[in-house]
Amino acid sequence: MSTHITGTREEWLAARLKLLKSEKELTRRSDELARRRQELPWVRVDKEYRFDTDEGNATLTDLFRGRSQLLVYHYMFGPDYAAGCATCSTIADGFNGFGVHLANHDVTLSAVSRAPFAKIQAYKRRMGWTFPWASSSGNDFNFDFNVSFSEQEQREGSIEYNYARGGHAMDETTQLPDIVIQNAAMCGTDGLTYTRDRPGMSAFVLEDGVIYHTYSTYARGLDGLWGMYQWLDRAPKGRNEAELYEMGGMWWRRHDEYTKS
Amino acid sequence: MTKTDLNKHKVVSPNEWLEARKNLLSQEKEFTHLRDKLSRQRRELPWVKVEKEYVFEGPNGKETLADLFEGRSQLVIYHFMFAPEWEEGCPSCSFWADNFNGIVIHLNHRDVTFGAISRAPIAKLHAFKKRMGWTFKWVSSGGNEFNYDYHVSFPAGVPKEKLEYNYRKLQVDSSDMPGISVFYKDGKGNIFHTYSTYSRGIDVFNTAYNYLDLVPKGRDEDEFEFSMDWLQYHDRYDQ
Repeated sequence: MSTHITGTREEWLAARLKLLKSEKELTRRSDELARRRQELPWVRVDKEYRFDTDEGNATLTDLFRGRSQLLVYHYMFGPDYAAGCATCSTIADGFNGFGVHLANHDVTLSAVSRAPFAKIQAYKRRMGWTFPWASSSGNDFNFDFNVSFSEQEQREGSIEYNYARGGHAMDETTQLPDIVIQNAAMCGTDGLTYTRDRPGMSAFVLEDGVIYHTYSTYARGLDGLWGMYQWLDRAPKGRNEAELYEMGGMWWRRHDEYTKS
Repeated sequence: MTKTDLNKHKVVSPNEWLEARKNLLSQEKEFTHLRDKLSRQRRELPWVKVEKEYVFEGPNGKETLADLFEGRSQLVIYHFMFAPEWEEGCPSCSFWADNFNGIVIHLNHRDVTFGAISRAPIAKLHAFKKRMGWTFKWVSSGGNEFNYDYHVSFPAGVPKEKLEYNYRKLQVDSSDMPGISVFYKDGKGNIFHTYSTYSRGIDVFNTAYNYLDLVPKGRDEDEFEFSMDWLQYHDRYDQ
């Protein structure tokens, strides 16, 4: 780090202005992608899903809470996990703070997981979060939106996550990456059980009483929705985790699990 | 609540949707790779040694820029708009703060110290932070030139064309503007300025906007004179 090239403010500025041009291009590209997302056709949701929520038994329509748009964060918390996924927790630490603004802009942001509601409630209380979080235990919601998979699919190698079959590190069944094992251990479960649930984000719209599925994203599609990484990307050392990964480690913990440093 | 007519959007079968979605996915992946590349290029920027000694007013008294690193080697600063004569911090910056308040603890574990800096006196910063329930570090640069040097505050009486914001002439009539600056401290205690971004450059730090970019109505701000007119302090929505 200390061997980094240094310069005068003028030299820095020349390099910075060049970079600014690329940054502006990227911002415009991001705007363009948002437009294309909005242009995607919709799919009518005809299946009736029942969830367990703070308000009791609820339908998918109820999860909109009177608004016309619903964003579901598919939080990895399988029925056999002892705790919600620690990695998802770092994403939730971000949206827990701004869900209130989305709610004032016609978007309800809700997490949904397969764990029984009592487990979800206890974990949410432990983490001090306030966003709505429903249990899809007993319904097909997670399976239909490709974030939960059966043992059979896992055995057969027929899991399709992030719009591809067998393309993801979590699809591995014999030699799971160390980071997956570590994540699983932090949820009090084994690697194969852990990877039967996956993270993702899905968008729905409610119009004239009919629900449509409009969008879903998975894997690195969540990168830009993960506040912590946007900040690290600007720091001189970047995400600063490649070496840790090689050693099989993951640096983050749940916010109540860090030892003082 | 705003209402946008979604104009009887095109509805298709799951298979047709999947085809359109996969097409978009390849563009999204391209975007992610471009963003990674840009992050690398950003870190290749030369650094500028900070020669000036800045002293801030913190929650426990005076702190230098070096102190703000709190023993870590990287310091990320959010330039929070809060002029000395204002009674509240900027509502838009408060929205950004609602985004970063919860994740600072994670950054701390990757050798990054986070801080917000504003010109308002520390007592005002402290009172507002308490009201909003935030826990991030926030110090006052009211007694130094930090905000002017990093182009987020503009002295009264100086014509706009002589002032710089976002690497060009200042376009607006405001004493303060938002931004993010990054600093590095080496083992010998030298401090370097590595990066600053302003205006829409801080867009990606507002994760909430990236969430809105996924929903059918998008950011849905076209009808407002000022794009963030829909926004309020998080404790004022029910009033």
